[in-house]
Amino acid sequence: MLLAKLTLGFGGTLVLAGVYTFHEGVLRIDDDHANGRHVHVWIPAAVVPLVMHVVPKRYLEPAAGQAAPWLPTLRALTKELKKYPEAELMEVLDSNGHVRVRTHNGKLLVDADEPGEQVHVACPLALLEDVSSELEVDAPGV
Amino acid sequence: MPDHTRRFATIAPLLAVALLWVPAGGFAQTGSGQVPRNTDQSASTVKPDRWLHVRVENPDSKDETVRVNVPLELAEKVLPTINRNRLQSGKVRMDQIDCQGVDVHALLDAVRASKDGEFVTVQSKDADVRVAKQGGYFLVHVLDRSHAKKSRVEIKVPMKVVDALFSAGKEELDLVAGLHALSSQGDIELVSVKDEENTVRVWLDSKNTTD
Repeated sequence: MLLAKLTLGFGGTLVLAGVYTFHEGVLRIDDDHANGRHVHVWIPAAVVPLVMHVVPKRYLEPAAGQAAPWLPTLRALTKELKKYPEAELMEVLDSNGHVRVRTHNGKLLVDADEPGEQVHVACPLALLEDVSSELEVDAPGV
Repeated sequence: MPDHTRRFATIAPLLAVALLWVPAGGFAQTGSGQVPRNTDQSASTVKPDRWLHVRVENPDSKDETVRVNVPLELAEKVLPTINRNRLQSGKVRMDQIDCQGVDVHALLDAVRASKDGEFVTVQSKDADVRVAKQGGYFLVHVLDRSHAKKSRVEIKVPMKVVDALFSAGKEELDLVAGLHALSSQGDIELVSVKDEENTVRVWLDSKNTTD
């Protein structure tokens, strides 16, 4: 009986933690090279601001300083893009490749296909907003 | 343990998960735009989104295409946040633009004040040029016959947009005001260029795709 309760408690906690971790979606980066190199990164979006919060400021400040002029733009852009969850924003097609930027299900999707390399990025808009807020805290003069 | 306590212990984690899921689901809905925008407004006052489209195509090579679709409201909100070079707070400084000695502001003032009519008409063997104001629109038409394949440029800009663009004074071009004025227009093709290599179209409508 005790074991059942423990299992139930552990299972419930695990489910809760899982639901919280993934409730903002997943940041996904896939990079496939023709030479066989593949990079696949999947990060729960809710984790990124938490990690940024605990990273020492000395690591974030240079990045925040460089991004500072664009942070208000990023914040405004993500706030507005949330209103357009299904939109084709840009598509460039030529003989060397195909680039597509769109929103789908509250995510910003960037797909770049060219001979020998394919990059696909799916970033929840909420994550972009969170990251810009976190960087603004560390950015001077924003 | 009493039966009801045991039952509660069984369903408690599920209940907690369900409760946690509700705001997540709510967020997801808002994020995916399922909830109508401007919910505090009545349906009759909700304006459809206006989209500015740009398409560049090369008819000879079907695999060269650029398609850009921008919601006007988004551009209106984002432009003022960009402060780089000539673009400051949604306005472009005109004093740094070389207009070959032409006072563009005075010229447009004159166009604005004048009645409908043709300002420039050139018809020659090589080219036709027509600049006119007609029905509240500023029109430019150029047909270049000097090349094997004729080039054609058609520009149609509502005068309200021109007024808004130059509303910030002599030294600045107010892009945000121009976009705002454009958003009140109906579907319209603003620019159409066809030359030997490419066709370029810039137009405004309520669709979020070019097709």
